[in-house]
Order: sequence, then C-alpha cells, then structure tokens
Amino acid sequence: MPQLSLRTVKDTGGSGAVRRLALALVSAASLAALSAALLSAEPLTALRAFFIAPFYSPATFLSMLELSAPLSLCALGVIVSFRAGHFSLGGEGQAYAGAFAAAALAFFGPGGSGNSATLGAMLAAVLAGGLAAAIPAAGRRFARADVLLTSILVSQGFIFVIDWAIAGPLRDTTGNLIAMPALPSGMLLKRLAAPSTLTIAPFVALGLCLALSFYFSRTRSGVAHDLYGRNRSFAALQGFNVRLLDWLPIIVAGMLHGLAGAFMVLGPRGTAIRGMSGGIGWSAIGAALVAGSNPVAVPFAALLFAWLDSGARQAAVLSDVPPDAGLAIKAVVILVISARPSWSAIQTWAKGRFARHGARRSARRPGRSIA
Amino acid sequence: MNGISGLLVDTLAFLAPLIPVAAGGLATEYAGTLNIALEGLILAGAFSYAAVGSILGPPAGICAALGMTALLAMGADWFSRKARADSFVVGLGVNMLVPAATSILSLAVFNTKGVAVIDGLLAGRPFDRAVQLPGIGFLFGLRTSDYLAFALAALVALALALTPFGLRVRAAGMSRNSLKMAGVDTEKVRAGAYAVSGLACGAAGAALVASVGAWVPNMSAGRGWIALVAVYLGGKRLGGTFAASAFFAVLLSIATRAQALPSAPAELLMAAPYFITAIVVIIGSARKSRRGP
Repeated sequence: MPQLSLRTVKDTGGSGAVRRLALALVSAASLAALSAALLSAEPLTALRAFFIAPFYSPATFLSMLELSAPLSLCALGVIVSFRAGHFSLGGEGQAYAGAFAAAALAFFGPGGSGNSATLGAMLAAVLAGGLAAAIPAAGRRFARADVLLTSILVSQGFIFVIDWAIAGPLRDTTGNLIAMPALPSGMLLKRLAAPSTLTIAPFVALGLCLALSFYFSRTRSGVAHDLYGRNRSFAALQGFNVRLLDWLPIIVAGMLHGLAGAFMVLGPRGTAIRGMSGGIGWSAIGAALVAGSNPVAVPFAALLFAWLDSGARQAAVLSDVPPDAGLAIKAVVILVISARPSWSAIQTWAKGRFARHGARRSARRPGRSIA
Repeated sequence: MNGISGLLVDTLAFLAPLIPVAAGGLATEYAGTLNIALEGLILAGAFSYAAVGSILGPPAGICAALGMTALLAMGADWFSRKARADSFVVGLGVNMLVPAATSILSLAVFNTKGVAVIDGLLAGRPFDRAVQLPGIGFLFGLRTSDYLAFALAALVALALALTPFGLRVRAAGMSRNSLKMAGVDTEKVRAGAYAVSGLACGAAGAALVASVGAWVPNMSAGRGWIALVAVYLGGKRLGGTFAASAFFAVLLSIATRAQALPSAPAELLMAAPYFITAIVVIIGSARKSRRGP
C-alpha cells in the first residue's frame, strides 16, 4: 500500500508522549464537560457522573483500572505490529478469539479450577489470538500480501464464526443473555481488593508494557524491529533477519490481543458474551496513538480511555447523557491528537491574519495611515 | 423468478451499495491517498437520508445524504492537510465518530437507539413486471435506489476515466509536483477526489436505507472495508475494482441464499466470503510478487 504514509503510530504526531497524554487528557475532559452540558437536561448530575463518580471510592477507581488492562494489552499489540510497519486492523477479531478460546477451554477442557486452569485458559486465549493473526502473517511472509486488507477480512470472518458458536452450539440456554455458560468461579482471576473488580490483569499489562519498552529501547532485536518498520531493505542490508520480522510481529500482536480477550473473560465478565469485544480493536489503535507508540505511556492512555468509558456509562445511568458519548469523545480525542500543526505554520497563519487586519484598518482610516 | 435469476437479482442488490463506494475509494486512491473512512461515510450517508428523508421526503433525503457525506469527506481531508494529521488516523477517527454520533442523533430524531422503521423511505421496484423477461429479466428486479447507486457509480467512473478532472486526479496520485508545476492546485484536486468519494458513499448509504425502509445502527456492516479490498484486489483499476466488487457480491448473495437451508448456520455462511476474499488477496499478491515489481 504505497500511498499510506503512516509508518508507525509514533510518527503521526509531533509531540512527545507526556505532552500527547496531557493534550488528550485536557481535550477529553473539555469534551466530557461539553457533552454533559449540551446533551443532558441535568448537566450538573452528568458532570458529577463523568468527573466524580469514577473516582468516588477506591473500589470504583480500582474497577476502572481493571477495565483498562485489556485495552493496554491491545494497544501494546498495535504498537508491536505498527512499529514493524504492519498495519494490522484485525485486533477486534483477535481479542474476540482470545475471549472465546478462554471460555471454550472451560467448557470443553479437562475441567478443574485453580491457577493451572486459569493459566490454561490464558494460554488458549494467547494461542487463539495468534491463530487469528496467522493467515495475515502467512500472507505477508509468503505472498507479500497487504496486512491491512487481510487482517480486517480475517478478523471479520472470525467474528462471524465466534458469534455463531456463542449464539448457537455453546450458548447457555438458561439465561436471556447471548453468552456461553459462566466459568467456574475457581477458574476466574482472584479479586485482589473486593468489592472492586481488580485482579492481577493491570499488573500483568504493566509488566508487559515495561518489558516491551525495554525491548524497543535496549535490545538489538528492538532496534531491528523499528528499523524494519521504517525501511525493510535497509534493515536487510544491516544484516537483520527481515524474514522473521515479516510475520512475527503480526503473530505477537495477535497473541497480545488474545491475552486481552482472556482477561475480559477471566475478569469481571466471567464468560464469553456475544459481541463482547465491542470496538476494543479500534480503541486500542487510538490508545496507542495517544501513547505516542511508547509502551510505557500505554497504561496511562488506556486508563484515560477507561475513564471515558466508565464516566460515560455512569453519566448514562445517573443522568440522560447518551451512552455513546464516551465513544464520540474518544474519536474526537484521536483527531485532536493526530493533529500536528507546526509552530512555523501557526506563526505564518497569525502573521497573515495580522497583516490582513492591519490592511483593513488602514483602508478604513486612510488619514491616520502611516503608509 | 427461477434460482439463477433470483441469485443474479440478489447479487445486483448487494452490488448496488458496494460499487459506488469502491468507485469513490478508487478516486482518492488515484489522488494518492487512502480513504480509510469509507465505512463511516456510508453510515453518515445512510443516517442523513433516513433523518432528513423522514421529515422532508426521499428526494430531500438523497440530497442530504450526498451533501453531508461530501462535506464530511472534504472536512476530513481539509483537517488532515491543514493540521498535518495522518489521513489514516483521521479516517480512523471518522469511523469511530460516525457510529457514536449517529447513535446519539438517532435518539434525538427517531427516539430510539435501535432500528427505526420509516414510512415512505422504502424504494419501489419500478420495472418489476419485466422480471419475467427471459435472459435479462434479472436486470429489472432492483429498487429505484439501486439503479441510482449504479448510475452514480457509472458517473464517477466516467468522471475518472474521461474528464480533465479525472486526468488531474490520476496525475496528482502519480506525481503531485509535476501537476503543481503545470499550474494546477493539487490540494483542490485532492479535495475534489474526496468530495467524489463522499458523494459515492452517500449514495450507497441512501441505497441501504431505501432497500429496507429503515435506519439500522451500523448498517454499513463492513461495506467500506470490502470496497477498499475491492480497490486493491482490482489492481487499482476501474474494471478490476468493479469486477472485484462483483466477485464479493456473488459470494455474499450465495451465502445469503444458502441461509434458506435449515442446516446451514447464517453466521458461518456470512463468514465464508471474508475468508475466501482474504485467500484471494493472498493468492493475487503471491502471483504479483512472483512477476516482480
């Protein structure tokens, strides 16, 4: 896809991760306040729901932290594939495949509970995510097929298949929810601070963020990964194993998305629900963009998005703000973050404005004009 | 209507909202940019047609669908140029913003976030009586909105292939600097390509709503992505893009027809076209890479 100028998410903005996060926070807070004021008949209640309710108690904050973990992992997956120049847009299907595999292992697996069963479910999810990414990866490796196209097609195909499995043969027919049977409680991740839903997931995500940061900044493989993303031929000339990088980042990204799916199932939800991935693949690209493709900044970006989701949900429950306000705000934040007007361009524009303004004033008052 | 004739009518009905989008995607591709926002633009067109059409009638709805999507596409292009934002990310933002915005607006306009059936928006089948004609009868089984979508796709194709505007758009994609040196404003050419892309998506969105007479959330259902795939599968040529769109429409209509079989799960059948197309993309890429650059 030669016309696609985006090489890495990092390259899409001019500022660093901290400035980018600050800009995202300010714009998200402003937009949340604006939407509460414009979309609600009870703006004060909506504002409280957006800004206070998610932080009202340690339990609500810790639950929000838990909500951010799958998004962090998906954003890491995006960074891994995008920094290698593979624009995989199949995260949605990969996370859904991971969630399904974790729940299916509980359904069909050897049974049991405890850490080994939980780890088994996580492993199944990681493998399923990798499997969902395998076709685009193989297409890239053996046919130089465009990952953007193949990943979205395969992801959509997987979503249909999993929808069928959850709504059909594996559906729990005892309830109205289109979902698989609830996982045994012994298989779920232990809650670390009840009544919040906090589990070990945010800490695993944080650990992986740090590990990936180390990989990209301190290892030869990380340098090769980045270099490959910028110029494959140059990376090959430097002696790096470009054939490995043709497919491995796509698979690793799929595995990270799969793990995110496992945390959704083994965490607060407790089972695989039809459509449970709910746009996480797209939000993850936004979170990676807000983080400036820096793995260390990913937890903060994911937390920001989790706050928007949580705040919008609270605002919808406590007032009359539409629940989709959170998604709309996320979209606008992505647009704001993508902009990178240079100072010179702003100065040129401002000079032009002043010059035009000055000329108009001179034209209105010719007697007082110096020129 | 026999089996094959019915399958052909279904294929054309699937093709109607797909082919203008593919033509629109090709317009921006010719201009040298990838318009990833096709999916969101179709949805914006569908909602504009449903919302305005429900109040002022279908003709006003069609004008709103075409106008709104053209403006949205041009706005996205303007933003990415002026703010030096990557068009890929801007497209992604548009694709996220439109479903959320239509959901919020749907609550205000139709009092529901879900499906809204709208009286008077279901397009009729003007040539229904001619369906029985042997051999060519299937051409007459479509709705008015489908014929309009085909007409718009043909107009876009003609504009790209035969007009000075089309020539400039293609030149902008090949060498922007050369076009600049020839005294042509390349930014205007690119904005024009985006406007064409928006118009095409608007027509597709209106055709979708007119085919069921209702607004359905997320009714674009991946057509923007399929159109994008068709552009690349067709080798970024008009004929190839239209052939790839037809290929996908055939697969979808076969999958839909197969749902009539009691033992065939609908979701699995709907998944098949996506996997098959992915494999076709990979095989096509393999053949291309074997031929060399």
